[in-house]
Amino acid sequence: MRVMVLLKANQDTEAGVMPSTEILTAMGKYNEELAKAGVMLAGEGLHPSSRGARVKFAGEKTAVTDGPFSETKELIAGFWLWQVKSMDEAIEWARRAPFDGGAEVEIRRVFEAEDFGEAFTPELREQEERLRAQAAEKQ
Amino acid sequence: MRFMVLVKASKDSEAGVLPDERLLTEMGNYNEELVNAGVMLAGEGLHPSSQGARVTFSGGKTTVVDGPFTEAKELIAGFWLWQVQSKEEAIEWVKRCPNPMPGTEAEIEIRQIFDPDDFGPALTPELREQEERLRAQSAGKH
Repeated sequence: MRVMVLLKANQDTEAGVMPSTEILTAMGKYNEELAKAGVMLAGEGLHPSSRGARVKFAGEKTAVTDGPFSETKELIAGFWLWQVKSMDEAIEWARRAPFDGGAEVEIRRVFEAEDFGEAFTPELREQEERLRAQAAEKQ
Repeated sequence: MRFMVLVKASKDSEAGVLPDERLLTEMGNYNEELVNAGVMLAGEGLHPSSQGARVTFSGGKTTVVDGPFTEAKELIAGFWLWQVQSKEEAIEWVKRCPNPMPGTEAEIEIRQIFDPDDFGPALTPELREQEERLRAQSAGKH
């Protein structure tokens, strides 16, 4: 199964405080372990929400609000995608992350094509696989 | 520049209500446009938080709490990664998205992704080399 691991923002990440070489080294080492174990599929960090925006959909209308957004604890500062055997394995990997000081990660299961049942028709499934392959080539 | 586009959860998505064929078709068409424009890098949907967990780190200790988590509006139900020229271009693409939570007010958040250059000298040449190598290894797993 695949899981998404979401790193929550804090005051520092939202203030644009960048990680030191020490933190980047610890993170590089952890990512190295994840890659060696075949767990790592992807991982990225996000700029503060001050460089972001939100779009609300109501009926046919959309409304755009520029960042920053104030609810720091609800915001995401980065994420990984992992390939694991179980939620327990994901939790064990998460516990080894080089975080401290009240940091929080959220682990969520990623949908697979078969989870959508019959609504995901063979045609839609074929389209999805084709688009996924095309998008992967861009990376 | 790359952006992460986060679809916020709703009561329905948290209750495990799956998209119907109509929404899956609309999303498929929208994804097709994103791919044809060279914008789409990745996209995934997430199971409800009831199947998830949170881990907190404090003083060298970790604490695990199993889902579900109550604040539906703060939770994420899916995401895309896009390659675009500007935040404005990302916003224009989001506005064309079919409402991902039909029948309710939906929200999508757009966030810029860090590139190696953003880290300055703290990302030493050795760390940068490691990052590029791990990125290539991970991409091979997809």
